Amino acid sequence: MSAPAETRRNGITGIWDRMLSEEWQLKVGLVLFILALAFPLIDGNEGDIDAAANATAFAILALGLNIVVGFAGLLDLGYAAFFAIGAYTYGIFSSYQVQPEWSSFWEPFRWLGLVQQLHSSSGVDHVHFAVSFWLMLPISALVAAFFGVLFGAPTLRLKGDYLAIVTLGFGEIVPIVARNTPYLTNGAQGLNGVTTPSFFGYSFGVQSTPFYYVGLAMIVVLIFVSMRLKDSRVGRAWMAIREDEIAAEAMGVNRTRLKLLAFAIGAGFAGSTGTFYVAKLQTATPEMFMFPVSVMLLVMIVLGGMGSVAGVVVGAVFLQLLQSWFLQDLTQGVHWLGRVTGIGLLERVDLVQSIELIFGIILVLMMLYRRQGLIPARRDVHALTLAQQTAVPSRGGIKGEMKPLHRKAIDPGKPLLQISGLRKAFGGIQAVRGLDLTVMPGSIIAVIGPNGSGKTTFFNLVTGLTQPDAGKVLLAGEDITGLKPDAIVERGVARTFQNLRLFANMSVMENALVGVHSRTTTGALGAVFRPPWVKREEEAARQHVLGVISIFGNRLMPRVQHLARTLSYANRRRLEITRALVTEPVLLLLDEPTAGMNPTETLELTDQIRDLRERGVTILLIEHKLNVVNEIADRVIVLDHGEKIAEGTPAEIQRNKEVLSAYLGRTAATAAAAS
Amino acid sequence: MNSWDILLQQIINGVSLGAMYSLLALGFTMVYGIIELINFAHFNVFMVGSFIALWLMQAMGIVGQSTILYGLPLIGVLVLVLVVTMLGAGVLGVAIERVALRPLRGVSGTAPMITTIGLSYIIYNLVLLNVGADTKNFSNPLPNIPWAIGGATLRLREVLLWGVSLVLMMGLHYFVRRTKMGKAMQATAQDQEAARMMGVDVDNVVVITFFLGSALAGAAGLIFGLYYNYTSFVIGYTAGLRAFTAAVLGGIGNIPGAMLGGILIGLIESLGGQYLEVRWTDVIIFSILVLVLVFRPSGLMGRTAPSKS
Amino acid sequence: MPTSDAQPQQRQPLLEFKDVDTYYGELHVLKGVNYVVGEGEIVALLGGNASGKSTTMKTILGIVRPARGSVTYQGEVINTLPTAERVKRGIAPVPEARRLFPRMTVLENLEMGAFTRDDKVEIEADKDRVFQLFPRIKERLTQQAGTLSGGEQQMVAMARALMARPKLLCMDEPSMGLSPAYVEQVFDLIQAINRQGTSVFMVEQNANMALSIASHGYVLQTGEVVLSGSAKSLRDNEMVQQAYLGEMKVA
Repeated sequence: MSAPAETRRNGITGIWDRMLSEEWQLKVGLVLFILALAFPLIDGNEGDIDAAANATAFAILALGLNIVVGFAGLLDLGYAAFFAIGAYTYGIFSSYQVQPEWSSFWEPFRWLGLVQQLHSSSGVDHVHFAVSFWLMLPISALVAAFFGVLFGAPTLRLKGDYLAIVTLGFGEIVPIVARNTPYLTNGAQGLNGVTTPSFFGYSFGVQSTPFYYVGLAMIVVLIFVSMRLKDSRVGRAWMAIREDEIAAEAMGVNRTRLKLLAFAIGAGFAGSTGTFYVAKLQTATPEMFMFPVSVMLLVMIVLGGMGSVAGVVVGAVFLQLLQSWFLQDLTQGVHWLGRVTGIGLLERVDLVQSIELIFGIILVLMMLYRRQGLIPARRDVHALTLAQQTAVPSRGGIKGEMKPLHRKAIDPGKPLLQISGLRKAFGGIQAVRGLDLTVMPGSIIAVIGPNGSGKTTFFNLVTGLTQPDAGKVLLAGEDITGLKPDAIVERGVARTFQNLRLFANMSVMENALVGVHSRTTTGALGAVFRPPWVKREEEAARQHVLGVISIFGNRLMPRVQHLARTLSYANRRRLEITRALVTEPVLLLLDEPTAGMNPTETLELTDQIRDLRERGVTILLIEHKLNVVNEIADRVIVLDHGEKIAEGTPAEIQRNKEVLSAYLGRTAATAAAAS
Repeated sequence: MNSWDILLQQIINGVSLGAMYSLLALGFTMVYGIIELINFAHFNVFMVGSFIALWLMQAMGIVGQSTILYGLPLIGVLVLVLVVTMLGAGVLGVAIERVALRPLRGVSGTAPMITTIGLSYIIYNLVLLNVGADTKNFSNPLPNIPWAIGGATLRLREVLLWGVSLVLMMGLHYFVRRTKMGKAMQATAQDQEAARMMGVDVDNVVVITFFLGSALAGAAGLIFGLYYNYTSFVIGYTAGLRAFTAAVLGGIGNIPGAMLGGILIGLIESLGGQYLEVRWTDVIIFSILVLVLVFRPSGLMGRTAPSKS
Repeated sequence: MPTSDAQPQQRQPLLEFKDVDTYYGELHVLKGVNYVVGEGEIVALLGGNASGKSTTMKTILGIVRPARGSVTYQGEVINTLPTAERVKRGIAPVPEARRLFPRMTVLENLEMGAFTRDDKVEIEADKDRVFQLFPRIKERLTQQAGTLSGGEQQMVAMARALMARPKLLCMDEPSMGLSPAYVEQVFDLIQAINRQGTSVFMVEQNANMALSIASHGYVLQTGEVVLSGSAKSLRDNEMVQQAYLGEMKVA
């Protein structure tokens, strides 16, 4: 699911959007936070504070769902399942619900203070689980995350709609299981005897205020975690997956692992919130975790802005306030309106009951008129200095210090790429039949041939997008046949796409940074805590990326912060090549890199491709423009109907009659003779 | 009743349920086949259908199960109610398409599906606000005529149900396979751009598909009421889940698949309720849904796995 | 633009493109192109990959609308006419890669070709005509179209287009993916159809075959017409090869 495009409109929406710069958001956020801190002191009403404390739980849930839906683009309609799992985990480990028989096995746990021994008059002692609330917060997060991985592993590879349905299924199964396993959950009657938290001896009891502050603290922590994740290697990988999964994988992003990560982190957030909520309510019933809850969270995110941390919090708070406060006043207003206009329905309606109707209306209106939400997600890239922006003008490669682009040691005497017997059929059509090719390091090989001759399929087979039916692909002696695209990128093969697969809503810088994914290792923990080594890695990555971008001089440099979809066609082609180069490939596959470019641009790019060879990159090039091929190719191979029909220097190929007839078509006479 | 009789009875029940789910699943799968959209609102159109039937019959003076009709009047009433219900549901379906889905045609991702979730909620809650949360006694003019088959009972209402469902399904089959518009629908589902190149008005085809699918859902709503003697605002949800699973099981987008899937789910529900425990039926059905999507997304009769990303 | 023989003789234009520009997003695909297709002619549009050939076809059918210039059919400007209307007026497509309806039978596919018509008697007459031209189709009427071979599918696609009783048959790369034997059959059939009075506008990569049956042609390169003229003159012209395979410096 790709992110909704930002639209710069004039009028009210335009002004609203322009106001939402990150600085402005930060300032407003700070003010609101201070107000929130002071809130219970300002408004002493216990009912209000209680409502506010409940609201914090849903804000946290919305933030968690935002990571799954907004960042990674995975529509999860059953998020409440993890909420339930966290809640019941607390219920099991911190209430009187589950009471196994006492045995010596439990002694060490009692010594640790995690369980108590209940003496009963019948003589059989039982275990009372009394794990502390504070300990259960992370534990339930882990339990929920575990279930996230369990549910996600078989299902996350499904396409958008289908993933949504499956998650809906899980979201339904969990409460039903909860209802039907009373031993663990006390079924529909709800848990009882839930331990209330205490903080250094101060027991929360039935007051809402301490819960409110804990909830607030959790919101702050999760906002922090969300923002750190978003602006990190992990966040960029998620965004890339959301924009174009295939391209992301072709740039080295392990789709499965990252999707699972998003799913598990989201589940973990929900798990903690479950513990928090149950501790506050002192009970949990299956009704609390059913589909309407998941839908409500979805509405919060849709209203606030998918992928936007601030938006989601605003959406959550707004909807909670709507439910608890506004609607009652609004109902009075509508009743008055009904009396005035004489419309009976208006006089009778109870808006508080119709909250779900309002949810439905919000969903439909937002999807029709403002898909990006109230506060659209923004990604501000760190600004470059003026010097960096105006670096290295004009075309041509960088003369002078030519660092090799890749770090692998390549033996110049041995073949870099060896392909033998490669075959692939789609249905009844043989796209590639028995292809053999040897590529020496440092060469530029052009692959030419008429439409439908199998060139792009050939590239897909080498880069792992398609599995071959037969044959072998060896990279510097290593068998890479049939590996997944991200594994192949790790081994030093990168590619561009014939029809361009950029991450349209990400900036030039971010697109290129995705290319660095396979060369860096910062994970979720590193992204959140930012230890010095992570900062160094991020800085080095940026430097590296800028270095590659500067190959194209002032074509791309001044535009590093521009979104990819705003670039000119030629610049988009350049960006795609940049992104591939950033992966530090030993072998670069370019699929029609000059397509759509005018002669000047073509010439410029041709020079730049030739310079890449100086930097140690071997290049395989699908190209139709024979003058380009003549300029830079060492060897040319010609494909027709999936087979190699000729190989040689450009001059040899141009004189080759078979090649000419493949392109121009056999004359009627030849065709008749052949049949 | 011995165990064979129980089995037979549950099979009878299962087929009745299955017929209803098939009708529901059909409409749903037709829309998916044409525009690759999962339309959540479909199941609440079903629910609205049952209420349309109820109101119409109440307006005609048929209240509860006390007014029994026979012969021609019975058939006349049933046909009238069926036609009006189907028309009403069909119009609702078309309205949904024009207002909320057509503007999103071509938008990739899950935005259209989210819109149908919203629409579903709106319909559901509008009905709730209007009629209240209690279950309504359904008007049922059918005489309670049972036939004994061994130790099991086959009632008139079941035979009628099967008959109506069969007629509707055969009618749909005929329409899609034999009429010009039906073939245009097939063509549009198989290759929208090529259909356009043949001169097919794709927008029109979509509207007709929605109309037919929703009309079938309305018919299923009437059948629900006549079978269970009640209706309420929640029936869309419970029946919807089963019909949804039926559509996926049969192969989403595949019309014969929806029929097969419906019968299977109906049988699973009745047999499962008998031999396992009723409270686990939902879990079983959801599990089937998840398992099919994970292991065989094309369903029993589908050709290829869905390609929409 | 360079032509390779004298001015073409007076033709009654059935279809005409005048200075047509089209865009795909920001990409300028067709740049001021001019074509003329006279009644009763076979006209070939040649060019390499990414030259704009398919876009031309889509523009004729109305799937793509020109940003500038005019597309005229039978004297009427049809820039904004919907596809269905164009089919009704006699433009029928044989799309690239056939695009048959895979799970409908051959007969049903043929009937779809006549979708915009309601003259039942004439439609039956056209069916017979099509069976005569494509005898093998008659044997496969009840077979699902997706199970046919590439060559057979091409026959059906052409027959389907003929069922619209078109004045102008638009063929997009009819020889693509076909074995040489079928290629020859296809081109023979195109000639036969033309002899019966249907004009043909054919986009082709296989220049030699196309030029062997066309009356005149155009060579397209990155969206511009770089060569045009009678088929005979283009056949003998070396420049076609160059224009085809590489960048030709446009004078």
